[in-house]
Amino acid sequence: MTSPSEAAPTGSEPTTLEPVKAEGGDGQGTADHIGKSPGQLMWQRFKRDRAGVISAYVVGFFVLIAICAPLISKLYGKSPYTLYNSATGKPELFDPLGYPVKPNGGISGEFWFGLEPILGRDVFTLLIYSIRTSLAIAVAVTILTVGIGVLLGVAAGFTGGRTDTLIGRFTDLMLAFPSQLFFVAFMPVITTIFVAPEDATPTWLRVAVLIGVLAALGWMRMARIVRGVALAMREREFVEAAKVSGASNWRIIRKEMLPNLVTPILVQGTFELPLVVTSAAGLSFLGVGLVNPTPDWGLMFSRAADVSETVPTFMFFPGIAMVIFVVAFNLLGDSVRDAFDPKAAR
Amino acid sequence: MAAVLAAGALVLSGCSSGSEDTDSAQDEKDKAQKQQAQIPFGDAEASTGPAAEVKGAQEGGTINVMQRDSYAHLDPGQIYVSDEGSLSRLIHRGLTGYKSDAQGKQTLVGDLATDSGKPSDGGRTWTYTLKDNIKWADGTDITSKDVRHTFERQFAEFINDGPVFIQQWLANTPGTEYREMLPEGPYDGDHLPDSVLATPDDKTIVFKFKDPKPDLPYALAMPGYSMVSEAKDTKEKYDKDPMTAGPYKIESFKTGKSMTLVRNEHWDPATDATRNAYPDKYEITFNIQYETSTERLMADQGANKNSVSFNNQVDAATVPKLNEDPEAQKRKAAGYQPYVSQMAINMDRVKNKKVREAIAYALPIQPYQQAYGGPQGMELAGGLISPTVSGYEDGFDPFGKLENPLGEPAKAKKILEDAGEVGYKLTWGYINTPEGQNYSPTMEDTLEEAGFDVQRKEISAETYYDEIGLVDNKFDMYVSAWGADWPSASTVVPPLYDGRQIQDGSSNYSHTNDDFLNKEIDRVQKITDPAKAAKEWNKLSQYVVKDLVSNIPMTYYKQIQLHGSNIGGVQYDDVIGALDPRKLYLKQ
Repeated sequence: MTSPSEAAPTGSEPTTLEPVKAEGGDGQGTADHIGKSPGQLMWQRFKRDRAGVISAYVVGFFVLIAICAPLISKLYGKSPYTLYNSATGKPELFDPLGYPVKPNGGISGEFWFGLEPILGRDVFTLLIYSIRTSLAIAVAVTILTVGIGVLLGVAAGFTGGRTDTLIGRFTDLMLAFPSQLFFVAFMPVITTIFVAPEDATPTWLRVAVLIGVLAALGWMRMARIVRGVALAMREREFVEAAKVSGASNWRIIRKEMLPNLVTPILVQGTFELPLVVTSAAGLSFLGVGLVNPTPDWGLMFSRAADVSETVPTFMFFPGIAMVIFVVAFNLLGDSVRDAFDPKAAR
Repeated sequence: MAAVLAAGALVLSGCSSGSEDTDSAQDEKDKAQKQQAQIPFGDAEASTGPAAEVKGAQEGGTINVMQRDSYAHLDPGQIYVSDEGSLSRLIHRGLTGYKSDAQGKQTLVGDLATDSGKPSDGGRTWTYTLKDNIKWADGTDITSKDVRHTFERQFAEFINDGPVFIQQWLANTPGTEYREMLPEGPYDGDHLPDSVLATPDDKTIVFKFKDPKPDLPYALAMPGYSMVSEAKDTKEKYDKDPMTAGPYKIESFKTGKSMTLVRNEHWDPATDATRNAYPDKYEITFNIQYETSTERLMADQGANKNSVSFNNQVDAATVPKLNEDPEAQKRKAAGYQPYVSQMAINMDRVKNKKVREAIAYALPIQPYQQAYGGPQGMELAGGLISPTVSGYEDGFDPFGKLENPLGEPAKAKKILEDAGEVGYKLTWGYINTPEGQNYSPTMEDTLEEAGFDVQRKEISAETYYDEIGLVDNKFDMYVSAWGADWPSASTVVPPLYDGRQIQDGSSNYSHTNDDFLNKEIDRVQKITDPAKAAKEWNKLSQYVVKDLVSNIPMTYYKQIQLHGSNIGGVQYDDVIGALDPRKLYLKQ
């Protein structure tokens, strides 16, 4: 039951007379909430959660940086693909060991976050482009995992019986695959099939394979959650009613079940995204994801770990950025869940 | 068949910083050159024991040894890798061995033999006489029968990890055809004919070859040709429990865990000109990674004061810290390893010499050095002969790589333009290790700048040498590293650049096949004067760089090793590319 205090209206929300949709929660039974859609209620609760709002701004900031990375680096006047420690760069900025001559990893007015040891890339543009790469991959993977997971989950939960068993065992099977090993084994096969032996593997292919493998091995959590909810919902009155009224299965799934699945999907989705960012970074960290000089968070970390004793600043910027990003996204996920489903115990 | 560098295994990985001590770097180089300008063959006097005392040395005590890898082989016939080679110096004895003086100057002397060998018939026949009073660890005499047995068992199938030089020379065949000469080894009562290997009495051994083999004393000093007892030979089982003759014997060996060496009471120092053997005992512990041994030896606390590592080097990430620690600096031994890295251009695919020249001018070699730890991990190379090998020539640098280690893309571009090859598609297979990821983008970038269309393909580290070793590989160039088996370029030039060796898995990675070069190799191999041969080999290696442009020299490998403060007699040995275990003592 929604406690009256938690669900009390703020007063600023305009009330509408929109009819109440088929909804599982009993919350709208209280007199105060008559005339508000679940979406509006959620929005109302969310806005009152300060941690959630701040996290949302932080996440928004990261997304903005990712989208505007080319613009920012243009204004800043550098590219993450320029190798300064080379004949065509500025080798005088590096000592014989390949480390920046200036202290703190070469931080200066020209290079705000310093320079990468040995390869000599500008750390600032490298970082914002890394965020761009990682976020793009994560968003794509999350959309795919949500899509596959919801489709299979609903199919299993709604149909039940043999289909459920089949999809359930398939889910178990997929869960058993170690994604890193799978990727290590998979990449050379793809390379042999799609790339001529004389040609370098194009970056888009690496990204596509990365997204494909992460999605193929990442939808299971979503599918299991959705299946559980769908299974419980199948027996509910409004679904029964729809069945009796002669609605097709497809219509029932679309109109009756999916709207009620939004909460678990959205909540799981927001938890999924930072997980994908870290696991993609993990793959690159191990040397099986993307390769230099493609800017990538995982590659930055693996490099930073090597030089952390000598150039701590190189770990500092991507590290702080990653911590803030993951924490903010998780807090956002928490807040979204709380707002949608205030009954769920913390 | 030789010391190909296992991908990254022996190499400083990562990076380092701090100021380079140029003085000591120069010292190392001087030392290496002094030593290796020519390792002379010692006469009977030089081969007579006991070995010269190490100044200030004390007898007794137990030295702790930290090693990364357990020893896979103890049978001399199976020993090829360098860490087993270090151990072999303490437990096994061969016909010849290297004696180093207090300055590190090396002489090749007789170990069990009275001298480094008496050649006759223009170097086709070599005669060795065994010293008196040489005994196995069980007290029985070492006789010429054991020597004969040692070489005959090398023909048996189960000996498959050791060197094959002498077998090939005796059989006068390439590859592994030598096994046909004595397929079962000596175990069925068959022996090599006296026309090849003769033992007229208990003390005399005569090798007879079809062609002059001036390098035989070097080859005999390889750990792989140490003596095996005929009476105690247990064939395959010998690998775990060998009979030894050196100053120490194996008290216990737990694979992957530990090994204890104790004194061999039957070893007579008067018969040994090369070994000192001060401590009573060595306690060797395995599975200690470079990071751990470096940390412990730098801390130098408690039992670590009595510790050393035969082969572990300072891990690259700690080098900057070491540079700022004057106390630990005093406890380091640094020197060269025998490996030379080079960019091998696939001559079957890149046929235009102008294109190869453009690559040579454009290729930046400094990123490679920096990826492997900077000037303390590697030295930029001008030639293909390492400073640890006779015939090394300082200053040879036809493409100006030492002055422009970042490459000269502009100059290369002009060559490409003149040749009408701008946009040349260059497929480069590089090793997918953290180091490879660090140097390859800069190389690609600079080559692109020079007008190449670079296709950079990563190759997994596990299969790297297998893939680039295929004759019809689809790469235009790749990096390879090679180390000489003994300090003579006869173990470098023929295996790497002899066109008749080209086959899958051969070490001629560039597929160099030049009539002039092939003929010259045959000629130089027959030169019996080592100094003259060294000069000729160097000339041939320069011909490869300058005239064929099939291999671009990149770096010479180096390393730093640490030891505890109670360990004395630490001296870096360029022959084994590690500190010399024979001179160590414990300060008490």
